Amino acid sequence: MIRYLVRRLLLAIPTLFGIVVLVFLLLHLAPGSPASAVGSPEAGRRVSAAAREEMRKLYGLDRPLPERFVRWIGRVARFDLGESFVDRRPVSERIREALPATLALNGLALFFTLALAVPVGVAAGGRPEGPFDRASAVVLFALYSMPVFWAALLLQTLLSVELGWLPLYGVSSDPAPGGILGLADRLEHLALPVTCLTYGSLAFFARLVRAGVVEARSQDFVTAALARGLSRRQALWRHAFRNALLPLVTLLGLLLPGLLSGSVIVERIFAWPGLGRLYFDSILSRDYPVVLGLSLLGGVATLAATLAADIAAAIVDPRLREEA
Amino acid sequence: MIRRLSGSGRVALVVVALLWLVAAVSPLFAERASEIRLDERLRPPSLAHPFGTDDLGRDLAARVVTATPISLAIGLVAAAVSLLVGFGIGAAAGYFGGATDLLLSRLIEVVLCFPVLFLLLALAAFLPPSPATVVLAIGLTTWPSDARYARAEILKARNLDYSRAARAAGAGPARILLRHLLPNALPPLLVSAAFGVSWAILAEAALSFLGVGLPAPASSWGGILSAAPAYIEEAWWLALFPGLALFATVSAYNLLAESLRHATTEAGRT
Repeated sequence: MIRYLVRRLLLAIPTLFGIVVLVFLLLHLAPGSPASAVGSPEAGRRVSAAAREEMRKLYGLDRPLPERFVRWIGRVARFDLGESFVDRRPVSERIREALPATLALNGLALFFTLALAVPVGVAAGGRPEGPFDRASAVVLFALYSMPVFWAALLLQTLLSVELGWLPLYGVSSDPAPGGILGLADRLEHLALPVTCLTYGSLAFFARLVRAGVVEARSQDFVTAALARGLSRRQALWRHAFRNALLPLVTLLGLLLPGLLSGSVIVERIFAWPGLGRLYFDSILSRDYPVVLGLSLLGGVATLAATLAADIAAAIVDPRLREEA
Repeated sequence: MIRRLSGSGRVALVVVALLWLVAAVSPLFAERASEIRLDERLRPPSLAHPFGTDDLGRDLAARVVTATPISLAIGLVAAAVSLLVGFGIGAAAGYFGGATDLLLSRLIEVVLCFPVLFLLLALAAFLPPSPATVVLAIGLTTWPSDARYARAEILKARNLDYSRAARAAGAGPARILLRHLLPNALPPLLVSAAFGVSWAILAEAALSFLGVGLPAPASSWGGILSAAPAYIEEAWWLALFPGLALFATVSAYNLLAESLRHATTEAGRT
């Protein structure tokens, strides 16, 4: 186990290094660097000479490439992401402020994804080509192909504008009611963004669960379990699903970048003050330190999540440890 | 290939063909799509304007039709860029193995670690706005999945008899890859390409919706949709119809990809 852990951690080092390098390259798309010599991107958003000068100083853009790289690595190692161009506050502070809103949104989305995808996938995979399998396949396929911003607009139109059941956007009403009503108010505001963030990964994950269960149920140990007199339900959940679970655990880590991508769109539509909106606003206002800091955070968080998922899989499945 | 497609796959193929047909005749509607009538703004769907009118009084149906070739073409070209980069890197990793594989696989892993939209937005917003930027940004962020696919296929095929025979006959890596391995990996790559197109269309729509996609005069479905949030309380048709076109297109390509996958795996490769 220890050997497996060490090996897995060692393999993550080059990836971590790669993430830092890629963000470094991203920085060179920013103005004051060769890639942007052609001029400012969007019309009307010309970067001022002062900002350019600041970029040069902050990232040492007037130094030779290797020196710049060493500087960058040094700053990253000290968790020093610089100051936001917009309000002069440390990038890490701005990220910390936006983090809870995004965690609430994505945590709930992840919870509902798993809570729905597993039963749907097991039920569909339990009887392949059965009526439930066919019906759920069509629905999941439709959800999978539905652009999130369109789904968001339709839900807003139907549930907020036409029926008036849910708030159009925002985190809470203004003024926010206190006590238990305040909580209900918050949940009401969460409903639509969480739905929008959930349905895509739900479709993706339920199909994987189904495929895993279909594959596992045709194997000998499931037949044996049924022959021993276990009920279909027991054979399915205790034997087929447990074995189908393993590859899924390793895939969990990869849900994170998808959720963060979704957050950018969902948080923008629903005026949600999280990381996704911070990233998008920073892109528009050319707040490079924030953009780079968030990119770095997104990459490292995903790496950590895949690492945790791999280790979890090894704890559950001794075979994986021995292979390594 | 087409004969092996399932019923739904054929339907998808017909829908894709129809979409390209719409794209082909769309220039006929260009004039109507750009006609601004401020006295007709935000009219609900009617016989004269089947999809209603937008905030400048332009006919929404004509606008959706004229956006078709833009969305389709960007999707196709971006997917091609992604496939080209992905196949090159994935095939090299699978074929050469060893240190090359280790290095290229790390590269794939690194790019996969980033939220796609983060990279996409940064590339699209920081580079000068043009269709080429959009295409490159999408292609350069989505290639890792193609690369993984290509790597697995080449890894499977490189030790089969025919490629060993080619090697024994003195063929170099480039020749073996392009003349022997590529044709055999083509069906699964086609699946990857079809998924890639639907992905690229979605990505372009997302960029344009967020306002960092194609520059002003051109408008894709995502671009038309970007006006919808401002009028969400009065003009539902602004959101419904362009999104419906997008949804139909993405579904058709996904369905096509799915049945291609069935046709190439279950029916057995010959």
